[in-house]
Amino acid sequence: MKLAPVDYVILVLYFAFVLGIGWRLRKGISSSGDFLTSGRSVPIWITSLAFIAANLGAVELIGMAASGAKYGIMTAHFYWLGAIPAMLFMGIFMMPFYYGSKARSVPEYLKMRFDEKTRAFNAFSFAIMTILASGISMYALGLLLQLVLGWSFTISVLASAAIVLAYTFLGGLTSAIYNEVLQFLLIVMGFAPLAILAVAKAGGWQGMVSRLPPNMVHAWRYMGSPTENPMGVELFGMIAGLGFVLSFGYWCTNFLVVQRAMAADSMSAARRTPLVGTLPKMILPFIVIMPGIAALVLSKMNLGYAFPLKATGGPDYDQALTTLMAQFYPAGMLGVGLTGLMASFMSGMAGNVTAFNTVFTYDIYQSYIRPGAPDRHYLTVGRVTTVVGVLLSIGAAYLATRYNNLMDLLQLVFGVVNAPLFATFLLGMFWKRATAHGAFAGLSIGTAAALFTLSSTVAEGKGGWIAHLYTFPSQMAQNFWIAIVAFTTCLVISMVVSMVTSPRPDKEMEGLVYGLTKLPSDDAAKWYQRPAPLTVLVVVLLLILNIWFR
Amino acid sequence: MDLRVPSGWFFTILGLILLGMGVFAPETRAALTTVNVNLYSGACMLVFGLFLLLLAWRATRSHT
Repeated sequence: MKLAPVDYVILVLYFAFVLGIGWRLRKGISSSGDFLTSGRSVPIWITSLAFIAANLGAVELIGMAASGAKYGIMTAHFYWLGAIPAMLFMGIFMMPFYYGSKARSVPEYLKMRFDEKTRAFNAFSFAIMTILASGISMYALGLLLQLVLGWSFTISVLASAAIVLAYTFLGGLTSAIYNEVLQFLLIVMGFAPLAILAVAKAGGWQGMVSRLPPNMVHAWRYMGSPTENPMGVELFGMIAGLGFVLSFGYWCTNFLVVQRAMAADSMSAARRTPLVGTLPKMILPFIVIMPGIAALVLSKMNLGYAFPLKATGGPDYDQALTTLMAQFYPAGMLGVGLTGLMASFMSGMAGNVTAFNTVFTYDIYQSYIRPGAPDRHYLTVGRVTTVVGVLLSIGAAYLATRYNNLMDLLQLVFGVVNAPLFATFLLGMFWKRATAHGAFAGLSIGTAAALFTLSSTVAEGKGGWIAHLYTFPSQMAQNFWIAIVAFTTCLVISMVVSMVTSPRPDKEMEGLVYGLTKLPSDDAAKWYQRPAPLTVLVVVLLLILNIWFR
Repeated sequence: MDLRVPSGWFFTILGLILLGMGVFAPETRAALTTVNVNLYSGACMLVFGLFLLLLAWRATRSHT
């Protein structure tokens, strides 16, 4: 792929705007709260778009198109079965406790509801995870730019990291959030034409259906047995594993996204943030998954389009998006598409960095290293942590170039570590009898159960390091079942240990748990500002999409 | 800062660049399509950018 001068102009124009937004917002920062939590002042339409943009990193963008080519329309389950119900649950049921508790982070909520050890467990595992996640996405981007454009890995990694650092350092979370919205708009405007062109060329949806095996174009019909569908997953594993544990665990407890909703300017806006976010989220599969499916069709149509081959043989689906861009975008629009790719990388990385600096400053530094200092001190620590976070991510990216398999493995392990957390939150928010010891025992044993399941089962040649008790039909199925095991273990152990340890007095838990919290009333608001009508609308649309692509 | 202002300007400028490409270099095409991609995408982006600016302008007017 060759870029024209106009493409570079567009890329530079975008960087100028991103940095300009950071520069303008620097004046609003006078406390650690302004820098790390936006001082709870961001308008709802911005938090809603940032809520989904922070999750739309380069790895997700490239990965979703690749999954579209590999698994077909079933990939949409990550959205229409997984993310959206979880976002609804988060907005309606969990946000009142997060926002109402005045916690500044997810680990801090755990500290208020349970105790110090559960917070420490969550804060440390989250901090390590965010750094690795942003390092891996940096690695993926650098590799792709090297492969497609011949750019130097070092220069593209360092330059994009420097830009992210500049605007997050200047304007903190507000700057990250504002830029995420611009990035999201650019991703949609930059990739929607590609989706339209590629699908049209592939003969429209009907043409794609006629050219692909039926199990690639039906999301539900072939779910009865793992051997019939391309993902190798059966109905229960899909619904309980992906639709419930993994999605609810991610969207309801991952501080990266929760932080965006917490930055909203009122309780009502915080609750509506994930709800409003579901509407654009629902459309995303058409922009990020459809091009992948269309690419598969095009590769079978003798048009001269083919997937590049991997070094190990077999088609490299990760290049679906970039090869389509090269085939459909002329100079000009090509620059926009490439800028969109860079934008997705930046929104993902800025999301990780801003979540990392908040958790480190409040939950690690202020809690264990130096409590009780004046706020100015924590503002400085927040700023320094931003720089350190970016440097550590760059380190992780280089680690990934050296030990590719190690990173693969870590990603697998961290996916697993997150799984039991949702059980802890579910009990913490909705069962006042749940105790601190119960939560910690459940979380640690649940995590251990997840790691044990991973290392005693095998799928596609992975796992099974200590024993070989079971073989899953696919890695997807293995992931989903590990999540189910971890969640159930955490739930059961937490309940049992809670029953035998002494309960916490009700008075201490006001505002933290269901039954002891005055739930926000929204009777006075207009209908579209109330969660219930919004939820009904989203559920109806979701059912239509699932039935249409059944 | 009203985010609609910088976003609006960004898409307006981007739209003008693409529209310019579509009008003055209409023969710039990619391999698999005969559509003047720059022209249509540029027009959409220009309209979107101006729409954001209009919203932001209306908001400042109602405040004062």
